[in-house]
Amino acid sequence: MNRAKESMWLDGARSVSPILLGVAPFGLVFGVTAANSGVPTLAAWASSFIIFAGAAQLSIIEVLGTGGAAIVAIFTAIVINSRHLMYSADMGRYTSGLPMWRKVAMAYLLTDQAYLISSHRFRDPDKSESFSSFYFGAALTLWITWQVTTTAGFLLGASVPESWSLEFAIPLTFLALLIVAVKDRPGLVAAATGGIVALIAIGLPYHLGLVAGALAGIAAGVASERWST
Amino acid sequence: MTAWGVIIIVGIATFAMRFVFIALFGKVGIPQWLERSLRYVAPSVLAAIAVPAVIAPNGIVTLWSPLVPAAIIGGLAAWMTKSIGAAILFGMAALWLFQWLG
Repeated sequence: MNRAKESMWLDGARSVSPILLGVAPFGLVFGVTAANSGVPTLAAWASSFIIFAGAAQLSIIEVLGTGGAAIVAIFTAIVINSRHLMYSADMGRYTSGLPMWRKVAMAYLLTDQAYLISSHRFRDPDKSESFSSFYFGAALTLWITWQVTTTAGFLLGASVPESWSLEFAIPLTFLALLIVAVKDRPGLVAAATGGIVALIAIGLPYHLGLVAGALAGIAAGVASERWST
Repeated sequence: MTAWGVIIIVGIATFAMRFVFIALFGKVGIPQWLERSLRYVAPSVLAAIAVPAVIAPNGIVTLWSPLVPAAIIGGLAAWMTKSIGAAILFGMAALWLFQWLG
């Protein structure tokens, strides 16, 4: 590895470090709650490197841990992760010259944070050449942090008493992700519709209310965007 | 289906969604209707998970519970700091306080 590339790796790792303060508690909470959820521990733990997407992993624990159907867990997690299509489409514009193994590694390591922190790099034409090194520095740092903190959470999990109500950290995490994700009025309409429909449909079996809320919210967001323009 | 089955299927689907346009860009672009819908995936799904979990944790709407004010405090912390860690910290502290107050 040449010097310039090496410094881009370090630059990526350094740029992502403030974000780790948010990722680390999320990873710990995922591990602790998953360990106490009733979902088989080894499978839940392995999801950190098989899926490597916190919100989707947490949604699987939430759905399966509260008696939801497997198909609902799969659907919810895939819908949550479908935002990666957007990131993939954006990054694809700048990765066409890279070798296949780099593209595979890049895709596996893709997260909200890795995408967001490197996206301004590949838009800048002067930096686009080094962005893949920058991206790997940031993305790999996030990956290691996620594996270490979720594993630590699983190890701690068994010793956390039930009276701490730590399962409440799951909705808190989703609430925080939600508040950060709502950026404009159509986003707010989508969130309000999703929440209300899921609440109304809560009596549906297998957590299907969650699916109904998600689809209604997306439709409402698109409709609201069309009306407001 | 076992939890393993769920996790492996989601893992494969997630990798496919991350990989498809990185691999194929230039040959296949993302359709506009899909791009527009994807923008609202995060707020819709996150609200559909979070709202019932706070307001109806046992499947029955319960507004009078320590969960609701604790979620409001956690939500405010998230809004002000944009940090998941702060939301968990303040939300859990509020929950313990309200549970203790009974």
